[in-house]
Amino acid sequence: MTETKRVVVAVDAMGGDRAPGEIVAGAAQAVADPDVGVLLVGRQAEIESALPDGAAPDGLEVLDATDVIAMDDEPLSAVRKQKDSSIVRAVEAVKEGRADAIVSAGNTGAVTTAAVLRLGRFKGVPTPAIAVPIPVAGQHPQVLVDAGAVVDPAPERLAQYAAMASEYARARWDIPAPRIGLLSNGEEAGKGDELRKAAFPLLERIPGFVGNVEGRDFMHADTVDVVVTDGFTGNVALKSLEGALRALSGLVFSVLDGSPEAREASTVIMPELLRLAESYDPDVTGGAALLGVKGMTVISHGASSARAIVNAVAVAADCARCDVIERMRKAVIDAG
Amino acid sequence: MPAETHVEQTPMGPDEVLALIKEHLAEILEIDESRITRDARFAEDLDADSLALIELVEILEAELGERTVGFSVDDEDLAELRTVGEATDYVVARLGVSAA
Repeated sequence: MTETKRVVVAVDAMGGDRAPGEIVAGAAQAVADPDVGVLLVGRQAEIESALPDGAAPDGLEVLDATDVIAMDDEPLSAVRKQKDSSIVRAVEAVKEGRADAIVSAGNTGAVTTAAVLRLGRFKGVPTPAIAVPIPVAGQHPQVLVDAGAVVDPAPERLAQYAAMASEYARARWDIPAPRIGLLSNGEEAGKGDELRKAAFPLLERIPGFVGNVEGRDFMHADTVDVVVTDGFTGNVALKSLEGALRALSGLVFSVLDGSPEAREASTVIMPELLRLAESYDPDVTGGAALLGVKGMTVISHGASSARAIVNAVAVAADCARCDVIERMRKAVIDAG
Repeated sequence: MPAETHVEQTPMGPDEVLALIKEHLAEILEIDESRITRDARFAEDLDADSLALIELVEILEAELGERTVGFSVDDEDLAELRTVGEATDYVVARLGVSAA
């Protein structure tokens, strides 16, 4: 039997709209896995009072950090000025070898800044990218990269993002040869703005690149595994998908509550629908990964529940175990 | 002697500061040092974004702070520095202030 490597995940206890309560509760649940340890970073007194039963379970350790970077703080100056913040201390824990990965539901810009400054970037990758899992019914998610880190990247960056995201998808979901698509306004090779036209030939050198894809190719199993784009359109696409899903689910549920017959039918359909809806719940996907920095960094969404933190910790731990950072670093080198 | 004004070593001159900035900026941006002249503009000529400049500042603060206790760069001032030459002059001036 193969022995599972035990890893420690530094969790920012103060980040997110529901911190510290939900974050602490999630961290306490995450250590139910004996192969996972959690270093919970933040204001010790607040953490301890939020711990279920008032005591840290086995595998959970608290690291006191007095400052809190707010969700709307300007990231660069916040990281510089609040050196004893939970975000900075959590990142430093990885740098110092106390933890193997980071999870934060806090200020995304501050997490990115702290990771770049304290952990460093991959050689040749000046700016990291955010890779978000997009749910696909019946199979592993697609990876959307970049979902908002760099709004105006050079064409070379898209090729690097594709190489890293492909390796990330391979490591996380055991996809032997991930298919990569460039998000554009048409499938033909000549389609797109100047960025896409310049990036296309560079992407052709990345194994698995299949050409342009369109917005309609999201969430379909038979299209691609990785969708690469700039941070501006990536963020617009992500938010559009979220909005469309929310609107669609609202419509479906209103129809099922629209008449006595529909309500009767819903008693049969609803359990299946709820099961389906759960697979699209952002608390289940495990958060976004920061690609291009020398430490596994998982960014959970701002409204993360305890469940979201449990899943994010599991993803961070899995990625640390399979050494995805080193694999992505090599992928960038191979991509030239 | 108050720690804030204690000078560990002789303050650096403009040429030394420029050399230090060139060395670290070249490393951060992964470009040849020869591209980094006094007149080079951070954004337009060197493609250095705000994150790269903060990286440079953190390195300079750590390195120069060992020579001159209290050396620091204000974030507000950083936004005003457009060229390598302006940054060099700023650092030299700040070193003087810290050493005074």
